[in-house]
Amino acid sequence: MDTVLNVLVVGILLGGIYGLVSIGLNLIFGVIRIVNFAQGELVMLGMYGAYLAYTMLGLDPYVSVLVVVPALFVIGLVMQRLVIQPLQNEPSMQIFATFALLILLQNVVLALTRGQGYSVPTQVAGMGLELGEIRIPATRLVIFLAVTTIAVLLHLFLMHTLAGKSIRAVTQDRQAARLMGINVERTFTVTFGIGAALAGLAGVLLAPIYTLSPGIGGNFILAAFAVVVLGGLGSVAGAYFGGLIVGLVEAFAGFYIDPELKQAIWFLIFLAVLVVRPTGLFGQVGAEEVGFREQG
Amino acid sequence: MDIKRSLRSVAVAGMLAAGLAGGTALAQEPLRIGAINPYSGPLALYGDELSRGYQLAINERNARGGVLGRKLELVRGDAGNPQQGIAAVDQLVTRDKVEIFVGTYISAVSNAASDAALRHQKLYWDTNALAAELTERKLANFVRSGPYSAHFGEVSVRAIVEMIAPALGKQPRNVSVWIEHEDSIYGKSIAEVQKQLLEGKGVKVLGVGGHNFRATDLTDVVLRARKANPDVWLQTGYVPDGNLMLKTAREQGYKPPVMLWVGTGDTFETLDALGKEYLEGLFVVSYPRPDISESFGPGATAYLNAYRKAYNREPIAPQGLTAYTGLRMLLEAVEAAGSTEPSRVRAAAAKLDKPLNTYPSGFGVKFDDKFQNTRAFPTVIQWQAGKQVTVFPNEARPGGVSLKNTPRK
Repeated sequence: MDTVLNVLVVGILLGGIYGLVSIGLNLIFGVIRIVNFAQGELVMLGMYGAYLAYTMLGLDPYVSVLVVVPALFVIGLVMQRLVIQPLQNEPSMQIFATFALLILLQNVVLALTRGQGYSVPTQVAGMGLELGEIRIPATRLVIFLAVTTIAVLLHLFLMHTLAGKSIRAVTQDRQAARLMGINVERTFTVTFGIGAALAGLAGVLLAPIYTLSPGIGGNFILAAFAVVVLGGLGSVAGAYFGGLIVGLVEAFAGFYIDPELKQAIWFLIFLAVLVVRPTGLFGQVGAEEVGFREQG
Repeated sequence: MDIKRSLRSVAVAGMLAAGLAGGTALAQEPLRIGAINPYSGPLALYGDELSRGYQLAINERNARGGVLGRKLELVRGDAGNPQQGIAAVDQLVTRDKVEIFVGTYISAVSNAASDAALRHQKLYWDTNALAAELTERKLANFVRSGPYSAHFGEVSVRAIVEMIAPALGKQPRNVSVWIEHEDSIYGKSIAEVQKQLLEGKGVKVLGVGGHNFRATDLTDVVLRARKANPDVWLQTGYVPDGNLMLKTAREQGYKPPVMLWVGTGDTFETLDALGKEYLEGLFVVSYPRPDISESFGPGATAYLNAYRKAYNREPIAPQGLTAYTGLRMLLEAVEAAGSTEPSRVRAAAAKLDKPLNTYPSGFGVKFDDKFQNTRAFPTVIQWQAGKQVTVFPNEARPGGVSLKNTPRK
């Protein structure tokens, strides 16, 4: 029984990791309607940001959040203004552009690091709670608490602030939003900035768990896309609960069936959900079309 | 008429002179060796290290006048994947007039580059790739001077039977092992050798598990091993998955009596990730390090000193010593052959017969009919106080070294 509970806890905490890397991707996907292939690389930049903050400023990664997250927000703004926005009326070109950003970011970091695997130490490494066989590692608990807080805050922001309302308006109908006096471009820019900042946060919090390499973003992006589509495009709750579902499926399939088969199993579930409910578990019917309607 | 004739003879003499001069220039042309390795991209770290080893062997030989009366020159060909391997070989032959190829630790690149070298009728002397199928192809220009995957499997099993079982106070038949491997051909092929040899020695194999080295989570892998409760957790993989597994084991409070890693886990990348306290006692099967005893690897200390002098740092990874040794063997074969022509060098290589513990890496040389060196083996290190200390084979152990934290506390 203890083992089952431990696997359950492992799955929930892993779900936190997947939720965290997916939530920014889903925001950008939902609002700007582009598949940001470079999202994994923004997570990677967050990780290296934590490494730099540690080596140059001596900051623990959990403190470096204060530096790295704003920095990623600015990087997101710049990417949106210089690369994505000029291609606003060319949705497929935007996708290629984000792919180019992926290659560019990976190779710049490669050139700087020569592919050496870096690690970011933290005071809490190896710490955690112990309840019989159940282990709750501190590094993963922090991530779970962070993604839960972010999901709640993001939901409140979108529902109850003027900026959040304008983001929702733009999501539903760009032209109508523009006619209502909303600055669509500025909304996009802010959204991309927030999406990048969330990727940066994910990177910083993941840095103590993994060995940093320039290609590490790619390890998460496959799971993140699965989470986003499973949970529902553009839905905060979708990213959160989608992450949990993927995490739980992976933990149980990996332990009770075979670690080599776990990805195949969650993609099987992913396909089944898409067939039964093409909008994902939390997506609104038709949400995947809204943004493209007035672009066509 | 006379004038014409004398003009003609002057012209002929001139041409002859030019021809002679050309011939002399050709004789003095350096013998160029193309080193196929990744020098950019995520795999460049070890690619650079291999070439440092090659360069040291070349420096040493040039100081003694080179080979076949010619100075040696190393030309780098950057290749991180098979396509780049082919392109690099083509370019080095046509542009740089490279006559022999050496390389690389990436088996897929070695595979493609050696094929390409064969099309140019050039020798491909492999020093560091591990995949068994490279020599199975029986390519007419291929020789492998370093250890391959089966040797890694073999040494890991010998270490369990001859060193770890006694340290645990058990007979080998009372020792239990969980075999974990990354699930590409590299990890799989080593795991198969391990299972077969361990069972042959009567050691209990409790299970064999595979994982993807890019997996974002390996808690399942750790929990499965913990459930099996082996004496030895034997793992073959790369740096990211090996590190993640150790971190996860620490988080999950999993403490097997012995952890034996194969292939990676012996560099600063693992030390930085886990810290020296946690690593204390971890065993790693890897390429021989320059700290091995002089009686095991004669000249290992001289290699280390030459490396420090040339590069002003400590070796990044032990692969450089294996590359250095391989290049020395190659030059011996070329000298004996009196040629760089593949069939003649291979014929000369086939006659090389030196016992183990001849070279600084502890290797000897004797090629089988597939041109795999049968006297090249990895060694085993143990992390002790943040340092990698060679502990197996016993003869390789530096003086005064004993096992630490075995079984793990």
